[in-house]
Amino acid sequence: MSLTRILCALTFALLLGAGGAQAQSNQASLELVEPLAEYKLYVAEHTASLVEDTKEFVGAIKDGDVEKAKSLFAPTRRNYEKIEPIAELFADLDVSMDSRADDYEKGEADPNFGGFHRIEYVLWEKNTTEGLDKYADKLLADVIELDSRVSELTFPPEIVVGGAAVLMEEVAATKISGEEDRYSRTDLWDFEANFDGSRKIFELFKPLIDDEAFIAKVESNFADVYEVLADYQTEDGGFVSYEKLTDMDRRVLSAKVNTLAEELSTLRGRLGLG
Amino acid sequence: MPEQQKETAPTSRWVYGGLGAAILLTLAGGAAFYAATQKKGTGEVASDYTVSVSAKSCEPNEMTVPGGKRSFEIVNTSDRPIEWEILDGVMVVAERENIAPGFRQTLTAQLAPGEYEITCGLLSNPRGKLTVTESEEARAAAADVGLRNFLGPLSEYKVYLVLQGARTVAEAEDLATLIGEGDLDAARAKWEVARLPYKRVEPVAYRFSDLENSIDPVADYLAEREGDAGFTGYHRIEYGLFEENSTEGLKPVADQLVADLKTLKTRLAKLKLDPALLISIPAEMARQLAQGKIAKGEDRYAETDLADIAANFEGIRKIAGLLQAVVKPVDPALEAEIEEDIADIGAQLDALKAEDGYPAYSSVDDSDRAALADAFGALADTLDRLNSVIG
Repeated sequence: MSLTRILCALTFALLLGAGGAQAQSNQASLELVEPLAEYKLYVAEHTASLVEDTKEFVGAIKDGDVEKAKSLFAPTRRNYEKIEPIAELFADLDVSMDSRADDYEKGEADPNFGGFHRIEYVLWEKNTTEGLDKYADKLLADVIELDSRVSELTFPPEIVVGGAAVLMEEVAATKISGEEDRYSRTDLWDFEANFDGSRKIFELFKPLIDDEAFIAKVESNFADVYEVLADYQTEDGGFVSYEKLTDMDRRVLSAKVNTLAEELSTLRGRLGLG
Repeated sequence: MPEQQKETAPTSRWVYGGLGAAILLTLAGGAAFYAATQKKGTGEVASDYTVSVSAKSCEPNEMTVPGGKRSFEIVNTSDRPIEWEILDGVMVVAERENIAPGFRQTLTAQLAPGEYEITCGLLSNPRGKLTVTESEEARAAAADVGLRNFLGPLSEYKVYLVLQGARTVAEAEDLATLIGEGDLDAARAKWEVARLPYKRVEPVAYRFSDLENSIDPVADYLAEREGDAGFTGYHRIEYGLFEENSTEGLKPVADQLVADLKTLKTRLAKLKLDPALLISIPAEMARQLAQGKIAKGEDRYAETDLADIAANFEGIRKIAGLLQAVVKPVDPALEAEIEEDIADIGAQLDALKAEDGYPAYSSVDDSDRAALADAFGALADTLDRLNSVIG
């Protein structure tokens, strides 16, 4: 797994390095205000849904309903994954909600390992909700705190515009490898949410970009990644286990995601925010 | 802000040991890319500082650097992927994620003087300290107030207008429903809060004079006073609920108010904001309050003026806070003065507040009104000075 990860990270970095060099340098304009404001409204909408969905998720955990809790895990996370470029600005909350066992010296055995992935670990590996109450309470407190901090935050324009590429970078560097949702294998839900979040930013700023060829390329690459995902979608809008992803499709996704990361990394320069 | 990223060939034997042909090819690519940047002389090859992250700690773990654009080469000598972040409190200032074992990446960030924490690999590892000192470069960067500095604040105020605009409509709809049901007490209670989001955005809303005349006219300015056909909106409803003690005949007035507020909401969402407008709005509003509104009051039947003034103040404070962030690096003294003026108004309003909220405005005597008006006047004067600094 770490091999894949290294490869992904390295390939990605090369592409990004090359892409960054091509970025144009324009002047930032007042036209950016509208899409920036729109984006904050988009994020606020998702932090609000995150609070609502987490309440239900936590409720299922406290009821000891393992199956229901499992079924709510991925849909709840989705709200977070869509807005990750902003959510991860709050270092304390990001650690508390979304750190992996690898971030702790003792891995899963470390009691400080909390958040989504601790809950995921216990639900799937232990097949129980036992011992999860305090982690569930903390998660709910964290998402409420996130919602309130987001509403107070003046979004940094560079972070917003750069977020389109950052989301793709996340997928390329840590998600294609399957490390993120390693216990539940719900990785494809996160993929879709990251793609959605990235595409939202692209769509919002697209009218300000005067380069039809670039826009066509990005749109076609987005269409390609969504097409791959569509093959794994279930009838209720969810996704099958990540293990079902064929090697072929994994390679296609990986290539397209890297290309998108490269292309989208030029957005800041194109919009005068380099 | 991270601005570029570059991988150089790994140094760890561990990496060579485990890798197949594919990665060697990729590495060759990496080396070629590295060589290319070297040859092109992009000037970004050498980093200002190098930080090694091992399994347990960072070396160095405490650094002092001059303010400005600084670059850090992060070398991962541990056996896990790591991230390296510069933190200001809980906020991430810049970060490099997913640095694979044995690899190095460069992070470049524009750093303002101050104390920062740095994360260092595993969450349990001790955090490091980054001290950024004053420098010519940092001073020049801070003094350079361009449009870019305003993009965040303008967007944030836009969001505020959109959200408060939506709230004016939602509250007025509730008010119309209660009036329709003939519930006088509930309608009175709702009237008091329904007005607040409008008061928060009043510095912008009053610019749409057609709407203002229909949403918020006071009887004094109308030829026939309360009997005038032009007496509509919030105060017409207030008159019915608090003076005539009835909801009768108010439903059409409330429905019209909802319709007007919907138009207002749309206009607020479409309004083009620019730095000059953002700077002028709070000073103008503060001056209006100082020059008459506070002395006279306008909720003559409900006497809820203090709640109105507090909501106006919230709206002023929202923008002032955004502008403070812009002016602080350039003129910290002016920023501090704005803060003091705001604190003064806040303290006066708090002092007037009783346990169950603001008292009837008739109980606020002339000297209290004058002191409050003076405080808003002082804030307006201070805010005017923003023009020469960041305008």
